[in-house]
Amino acid sequence: MAFSLDELIVLNASKDKKKIEEFAKTLERIVEDVFIPIAAGGGITSIEDAKLLFNSGADKLVLNSLLNNNQEIVRQIVKQYGSQSVIASIDYKTIDGNNVIFINDGKERVDMSLRQYIEHVQNLGVGELYLNSIDKDGTGFGYDFDTIDQVANSIKIPLIIAGGAGNESHLIEGLKREKVDAVATANLFNFVGNGLPNARKKIIEENLNIARWI
Amino acid sequence: MNLVIIDYGMGNLKSLGSALKYLNVENVVISNDHKTIKEADKLLLPGVGSFVSAMNKIKDLSLDKTLDQVVLKDKKPILGICLGMQLLCNYSEEDGGAQGLGYVDAECRKFNEENLKVPHVGFNQVILNSNTKLYDGLNKENDFYFVHSYRLQSDENINQSYCNYKEDFIASFEQSNIIGTQFHPEFSQTNGLKVLKNFIGKF
Repeated sequence: MAFSLDELIVLNASKDKKKIEEFAKTLERIVEDVFIPIAAGGGITSIEDAKLLFNSGADKLVLNSLLNNNQEIVRQIVKQYGSQSVIASIDYKTIDGNNVIFINDGKERVDMSLRQYIEHVQNLGVGELYLNSIDKDGTGFGYDFDTIDQVANSIKIPLIIAGGAGNESHLIEGLKREKVDAVATANLFNFVGNGLPNARKKIIEENLNIARWI
Repeated sequence: MNLVIIDYGMGNLKSLGSALKYLNVENVVISNDHKTIKEADKLLLPGVGSFVSAMNKIKDLSLDKTLDQVVLKDKKPILGICLGMQLLCNYSEEDGGAQGLGYVDAECRKFNEENLKVPHVGFNQVILNSNTKLYDGLNKENDFYFVHSYRLQSDENINQSYCNYKEDFIASFEQSNIIGTQFHPEFSQTNGLKVLKNFIGKF
């Protein structure tokens, strides 16, 4: 499967107390067979956590709640490992037409508009932005292009869109957007049959900007 | 063959190690021990992070002197990857500027940020200027994985291959035993594995 990807994002989604040591061990095993960058995240609360995951083979970290909860640690991680090693993950829900930011696995609201929050995380020096629609996530109905198109212009760093991809046409629709640098998918089609290799083939047939391997 | 990945405390060495393991390289040692480095057949200088911090760490460990001997006198093949490639050069303006190891006459400057997303992250096409051992079995144009905010410039004609990110910059150089790639072969799927295999087998 990894041979169809440009990058792999591994998130520790365990809902109870996030055991970062166990997650780090899992990561170490994944790294052995994957020759693309691996971004890891979920439950990072300290510079020690960051160090542990980097030492376990993460090339980048995905930070989410920490972006709101402790800017100082985010800045420290950026300073020590470089902005290219930090992906800011933003989860939002659309409520009454407004995009509301959520942290802590979607449990806690952040009192900032999506635009303000994007500005906030960019000011922390992060290298990439991972924008996830909680509403679309897991639906397979396609990305939230309404919101993506609204905010894309305010994003100065590479943008990865997430939440909602259900087939290759969604990926293609995303990649056709000038402001979208990458499309992420955790959908079931990744894991069934040749879903991912076929998607990659179709993206190449569309002549979109994606890597070719010999 | 005895291949040493130089560990000066910066960046992820695991991926590189597992790529070499995948290529069945028998003796891969990750080390900053002077004796080990001197006895190596080939060296890899990886690195992610700040140029200044990296040079400081290299000097704190006195690795610069050991590398001078192994690379310049003993002419052992060395492959610098990303920041490691930049360190092989004269100078970088990152964080106020610092001198590098100075083996290759080139300087690192930040991408001109206007209307350009920096860092330059992701797969991008590398175009070869000349056929070289490093790219044996690959095409004239190949995709490799990049992640960097500073790019290499040189007045000397050292650009064995180049990449375009709003402007052309040096993607790799090959100066007899001193080789550098701005991209990460260890993150570039089968293309990258071929480059690593060439470095191991052909230098």
